[in-house]
Amino acid sequence: MNKAVKAVVIVGGGTAGWLTAGIIAARHQARMKAGGLSITLVESPEIRTIGVGEGTWPTMRSTLERMGVSETALFRECDAAFKQGAKFVGWTTGEPDDAYYHPLMVPQGFSRVNLVPHWLQAGGAVSFCDFVTPQGRLCDAGLAPKTIAHGEYRAPANYAYHLDAGKLGVFLARHCCEKLGVRHVLADVESVRQSESGDIEGVMTRQAGQIDGDLFVDCTGFAALLIGKTLGVGFRECGDILFCDTALAVQVPYDSPDAPLASQTISTAHEAGWTWDICLPTRRGIGYAYSSRHASEEAAHETLLRYIGPAHKDLPVRKIPIHAGHRDTFWKNNCVAVGLASGFLEPLESSAIVLVELSAKLLAEQLPARREIMDIVAKRFNETTMYRWGRIIDFLKLHYVLTRRTDSAFWRDNCDPATVPERLRELLTLWRYQSPWFYDEFDRLEEVFPAASYQYVLYGMGFKTEVAAEETVDTAATALRCVHDNEKMIGELSARLPTNRELLNKIHQYGLQPI
Amino acid sequence: MTNIVPLSKEAHRELKIDARASAAYGDNRHFVQVIVNEFPHLLVHYPILFGKEAQTGQFFCGAMLGFVEGENQFLEDWRRDAQFYRPLSLQREPFYAQGPELAIDLDHPRVAAGEGKPLFSAQGEPSRYLQSIIWAFQDLVPGIERTRIFITRLLELQLIEPIDIEVEFEDGTLRRCEGLYTINQDMLARLPDAVVLELFRRGYLTLIQLMIASLKQVREMARIKNARLLERTAGLAVAPDAAAR
Repeated sequence: MNKAVKAVVIVGGGTAGWLTAGIIAARHQARMKAGGLSITLVESPEIRTIGVGEGTWPTMRSTLERMGVSETALFRECDAAFKQGAKFVGWTTGEPDDAYYHPLMVPQGFSRVNLVPHWLQAGGAVSFCDFVTPQGRLCDAGLAPKTIAHGEYRAPANYAYHLDAGKLGVFLARHCCEKLGVRHVLADVESVRQSESGDIEGVMTRQAGQIDGDLFVDCTGFAALLIGKTLGVGFRECGDILFCDTALAVQVPYDSPDAPLASQTISTAHEAGWTWDICLPTRRGIGYAYSSRHASEEAAHETLLRYIGPAHKDLPVRKIPIHAGHRDTFWKNNCVAVGLASGFLEPLESSAIVLVELSAKLLAEQLPARREIMDIVAKRFNETTMYRWGRIIDFLKLHYVLTRRTDSAFWRDNCDPATVPERLRELLTLWRYQSPWFYDEFDRLEEVFPAASYQYVLYGMGFKTEVAAEETVDTAATALRCVHDNEKMIGELSARLPTNRELLNKIHQYGLQPI
Repeated sequence: MTNIVPLSKEAHRELKIDARASAAYGDNRHFVQVIVNEFPHLLVHYPILFGKEAQTGQFFCGAMLGFVEGENQFLEDWRRDAQFYRPLSLQREPFYAQGPELAIDLDHPRVAAGEGKPLFSAQGEPSRYLQSIIWAFQDLVPGIERTRIFITRLLELQLIEPIDIEVEFEDGTLRRCEGLYTINQDMLARLPDAVVLELFRRGYLTLIQLMIASLKQVREMARIKNARLLERTAGLAVAPDAAAR
């Protein structure tokens, strides 16, 4: 019961498996080189990865940098492009001019002053986003977040990636094996061997015999081979909060190879759900996430076709089930679930990959040295991860409850208070009189969606917070300076930054410098 | 803008080039590209740093001539003293290399001036001035490639790091020079012996040391600029009318 933890076995490849392998291996290189730790990834040669997660969070930059990945290689080999946020179209009223941004840059001077009350008092001549950050304007102009002269992972405007998740898995696999000493076993797991205590001792594979380990990571996707099938951990559905249960996905080619690229995910609201629209350099990835209770597959298909245009009516459409929810617990015995095995939600805010990063990072930092302390670490891991899933569900639901649309049952049902988690209901009440900022709830070290994200969505969707006139007096000078800084930054960046397409072409031609 | 044609003894026999340093001729540059062959000459006056080409993001070696865009505080020295070392990339104006041949930009203001140094003697022999240009290109063409290979090796070894140059001048202005890079001395000190030997044998260790030593010129440039600012202020002090304006 007090064995040293020396062999980590990750079951399942794909984005989750390889990111987890890379994050743990990068953190423990010295131990691995000294022979004190091994990381093995067992992957079936046959199972195809889901590969719909095509949007990341900016955390991906530091994750990859820490793994020693060349960003130039990422752009070239994973069909990657810049992502500077999400644009939500038609979510508030459904009128033609209804759109707002959730950018990736925090509001100017965010650590010093909360600009929300100042914006509310200014009367809303400009959108909240444009009042506090240049990023919406950069997105409107199709500009990249950096120039070719900025080194890898460096930029004046915060960014994440749109990328081909299938290619990312292959790319990370090579990096993990060649640079970080991860052992890759291509084999099908046929059975799992457990000890009396329930701990997993090893997995039996068809092609490579038995693979033993001290700690197992379940990255087997929806199959949840270890955490679900073997350890019997239950699944907590949340389809009663988030209604979208099906997605129809399609890859749309560009009309010309130099077509402009949007660096924002475009999320457009429809009768029974929303479409994502993600620009990669070589194609657009588009999908309609909808509620099958509110639309038939035929109707959903029509909605998708209406969005992509009649020219693309013959493209193959892939149907993906969205089984919204997560495990009751994420670390049981000596097994941790990461990625789809731990749960899945509609990709409205690209939370899938960031959650993999956060889980793997927590695991890497807290990697228990011995079995004896594993349950203590597991307890804390479960608490944190449960908190994160809860906050993601709240945040996704926020996009729906703020709507003023009543044109279809989908939107009306979404506003039914019975479908809103209690914690979110409470926050919405609170926010009528104070806006989210520091000292709010969202003060954990690695919050998935910080207070800034709530600000962008709330005030992008026209939420009203009552602010007393005196409220802003003390910080008026600081706020004014931030607003001026923002205007200056909009001018400077607009003059200096190339378009997304121009910069991606240059990265392919010249590469980004490592510094 | 430019009209670059191959240099010809026949067509350009009478041409004269104004080779003097002048802002009007485009010498008002605060950072110019240099090659490794020049480092020993440059060290005497200029900080030798790395910059990035705006269009490609690729590193190049450059000599710093001023603290702000368009400011070259050596223009006076160059005009006063023909022997004062001027980087080859400025010396060679208005000539270009076209393969092995020399070419000239006929629209360059140095040509348009219509006076200055002749290119050819009456007998059609290259003048001393043209000979110096030919020599400059004999250095420049292979030198640019040598410099590129030098930089590639430094990048592989992570020996390049950004440098913050921030100087406060007597007139109260604060100048921050951005986008400049230098040798990472911490990484240099941690290099394995075999790599140090390799760098030494290839002549790179000398180049690295010259670049590090040249950083001292930043302070020297600031001192000279400050002295000039003080002179000007002193001038204003004795002419209160001027100061009032």
